[in-house]
Amino acid sequence: MLDARVWFIWALTTLVAASATRSPMYIIVLLLTTMVVGGTCAAGEGRRAPLSPLRFAMVAVPLSALFNALTVHLGDTVLLHLPSWIPLVGGAITLEAVTFGALNGLTLTVIFAAFSVFNQVTPVRDLIKLTPRAFHEGGVVLSIALTFIPQTTRSLQRIREAQAVRGHRVRGIRDWLPIVVPLLVSGLERAMGLAEAMVARGYGAVTSQKQPVRTQALIIVGLLTLLAGWLAYLFNAAWRAPAVAVIAAGAAAIGLAIWLTGRGVHHTVYRARSWTFGDSFALLGCAVTLAAAWRGRAALYYSPYPALTLPSFDPLMGMALLGLLVPAIVTVAREDAEMHRHRDGDQDHDSSSHQ
Amino acid sequence: MERYTTEAQPCPEQFSPRSSSITIENLGYSYPGTQKPALSEVCLNVADGEFVLVAGPSGAGKSTLLRCLNGLVPHFTGGRISGNLSVAGHNPLEEGPQILSQVVGFVFQDPEAQFVVDRVEDEIAFALENAAIPPAEMRLRVEEVLHLMGLANLRDRRVETLSGGEKQKVAIAAALALRPQILALDEPTSQLDPQSAEDVLQALVRLNQDLGLTVLLAEHRLERVLPYVDRLIYLSEDDHSACSGPPRDVLSQVDLNPPLVALGKALDWNPLPLTIKEGRRFASRASRPDSRSQTGGLRKTPRTTTSRDGRGNTKSRPSRFAIHDLHFAYNGKPILQGIDLEMEPGELVALMGRNGSGKTTLLKCVVGLLKPKHGGIRMDDDSLVGKETAEISRQVGYLPQDPGDLLFADTVGEELAVTLRNHDLLEAPPVPPDDLLSRLDLEKLKAAYPRDLSAGQRQRVALGAITVTRPHLLLLDEPTRGLDYEAKRELIRLLREWQEEGTSILLVTHDVELVAQAADRVALLSQGEIIADAPPELLTTSPLFAPQIARLFPGTGWLTVDDALDGLVENGKTPEA
Repeated sequence: MLDARVWFIWALTTLVAASATRSPMYIIVLLLTTMVVGGTCAAGEGRRAPLSPLRFAMVAVPLSALFNALTVHLGDTVLLHLPSWIPLVGGAITLEAVTFGALNGLTLTVIFAAFSVFNQVTPVRDLIKLTPRAFHEGGVVLSIALTFIPQTTRSLQRIREAQAVRGHRVRGIRDWLPIVVPLLVSGLERAMGLAEAMVARGYGAVTSQKQPVRTQALIIVGLLTLLAGWLAYLFNAAWRAPAVAVIAAGAAAIGLAIWLTGRGVHHTVYRARSWTFGDSFALLGCAVTLAAAWRGRAALYYSPYPALTLPSFDPLMGMALLGLLVPAIVTVAREDAEMHRHRDGDQDHDSSSHQ
Repeated sequence: MERYTTEAQPCPEQFSPRSSSITIENLGYSYPGTQKPALSEVCLNVADGEFVLVAGPSGAGKSTLLRCLNGLVPHFTGGRISGNLSVAGHNPLEEGPQILSQVVGFVFQDPEAQFVVDRVEDEIAFALENAAIPPAEMRLRVEEVLHLMGLANLRDRRVETLSGGEKQKVAIAAALALRPQILALDEPTSQLDPQSAEDVLQALVRLNQDLGLTVLLAEHRLERVLPYVDRLIYLSEDDHSACSGPPRDVLSQVDLNPPLVALGKALDWNPLPLTIKEGRRFASRASRPDSRSQTGGLRKTPRTTTSRDGRGNTKSRPSRFAIHDLHFAYNGKPILQGIDLEMEPGELVALMGRNGSGKTTLLKCVVGLLKPKHGGIRMDDDSLVGKETAEISRQVGYLPQDPGDLLFADTVGEELAVTLRNHDLLEAPPVPPDDLLSRLDLEKLKAAYPRDLSAGQRQRVALGAITVTRPHLLLLDEPTRGLDYEAKRELIRLLREWQEEGTSILLVTHDVELVAQAADRVALLSQGEIIADAPPELLTTSPLFAPQIARLFPGTGWLTVDDALDGLVENGKTPEA
């Protein structure tokens, strides 16, 4: 298991790399990488993904291709003409527009796959820890929402069955009422129950509710500074360098305010996970991919317009994208080591019992 | 929240605040928006390290009393409270639940509804993290409670993959992690099957005996806990006052009768036996039929005359229900393997077996919620396999484990109307809804909001919603879960009436006392196969399932208090103490 922060950076890197390219070769490399990582790291126990990436692609790719074909009328290879009096969709439907739309759908699939891996491999508690201390309560709310999802799915199933045995059939939208009402009511009842349980376990007992005036003032000053810097940056090219400094100062003030608020939130962390070599290795992988994506922007670029061409593939860039595969390598290596340890342990046990 | 004072009345119990961990003086409370008190003039004294059972009918104020101990009432609920309360030197009314969480650990009825995070270990640590306990100490405490509750193997598991009993143990562990002096549990076993319930109760007994933890437990199934209890608090439904003392004394005064106690009272056994072991002394003295000469160990007369009388009526609606060679598999794993079961009209068959033996699956196959792999399900000559659930449900009423899932309408009367409308029967209902409501003892609640009712009333509304089409077959899944003795008696009365009208009833249950009182036949399911199908006397031979009376009089074939009383009279040995 990697650190939740590393997973977050991994998902972001995949997002950046996928957004930087429309070349089908690289997108497929990224998609395969994400699926391999998902297969090795998110297998077994974990939150189940709400939707598999393949199913997502089955919807996203055709929809995106259709949308792009109907709205973008560029490209040389005309497939058919829609009458031009139809607003927006009228005009030439081109192979290039279809291709570009499909590639957009694939990119979305990669991003979706990466974040569903992140969602599956990160335990809820680590998600709470990802949030800054000042937003600890927000993190708890998020985690509760996440644990509520599977519970709600289960009660939806139960309620559908219960209504069916009363002769209820779902034919139209109105027929969902007898299912949605009990679902909402039971959800509210559960929420009240949970709130009560959390109070009974002392939740909210030691969070100092007093927000000192100076932290509040600091946030306001920070926001104003940030805004001023941003306006200066926009309106006068000559002020750009000092404006960046002003923006940085504003951001620092807000950061300080958050840190000060966080100090007021008293809570400790159970079994803080220690940083491992695997974490560093995975981070390094992400860094390699990011650096390559930045330096090789031109290689990643691909556009089917005006006429469809065969995309180029730079093997070095392909290798660099494989930096995202590191989490899978780390996991496999760790499992391997554990298996060996078990086997060695068994052998030790055997040899000692033979003596 | 609001406090009001009443004129102090002398409490009947002697107070010795130093030795007692809980002292309650003239406690009264009403929920916001109601005039009727939920608790009234409650006076109690609980000593350190006592195991206290809080009993009483649904709605008598058991949950409210427990919630007063940690200040959830009135801080979380609002409402008006009066009187004085001291819990381990704290005043919950002043200090509130957050501070009291360090003193009183609280466990709720529904294990699912109290979890914040998804892993066992994280869940236990959650309260500690919020209390800002230093990490090193936190480590120690989590380890401690994991071992205490026998959860060490499950530490990395996700909460949703655990069984009900395991979940409830995690909830207890999470409460214990804050090292409270008192543990309060609000019907923690009411959602569990008997094996899991037993497990949880044993864990509580261990905590009480080994660690000296004061335990207050609200619970319906007294027969299970009475042997371990030091003090019984009985809350009455009428005046919401409390009666407290050693269990034997309280039981002899109140209407709270597990089978053994009921028999003891009827036969004037003194001191009242609380355990089978204590009861056996009286039983052997009272009398015992010569099993061989009398009945050969098994009773030959029909158990309930009422259910058999019903056969006369059945000619008008003869419905024979039969399952033949039924197979069902889930993800390739066989769940039901060749089930054969036949039921006569008006017969009540209890389907028993361990968790996961396929009982609920069988019911769902019958009502069409699951599609069997192959096999037949017939009602007379009519095959039910392949039909839509909505269609089957007109002839077959199915009550799921949680009757709350069925209820969504604004009033009790509307619940019945919805079912009729679904079946296009609103104009010509097979049973007049008002008659059904009065039979269910709900006529006064016709305009009430169903989800506000007590567990027993809610279940009766759900029963109304599924029987208003007058089904020939009723399928009930764990109908006595969470019901008090009175609600259980009421349910048995209803079942008998339906049987008399020729309705067959297939009942999935773990409740041996219910089976002893109501069943004509018992089918035992194991690993998807019916391994026994016999009269309820089958129960007497199985140590797993024997009801209290059968264990008290082994070899007689008696199952219920009535059996025993009749049997003793028949033997000419009128019960004398």
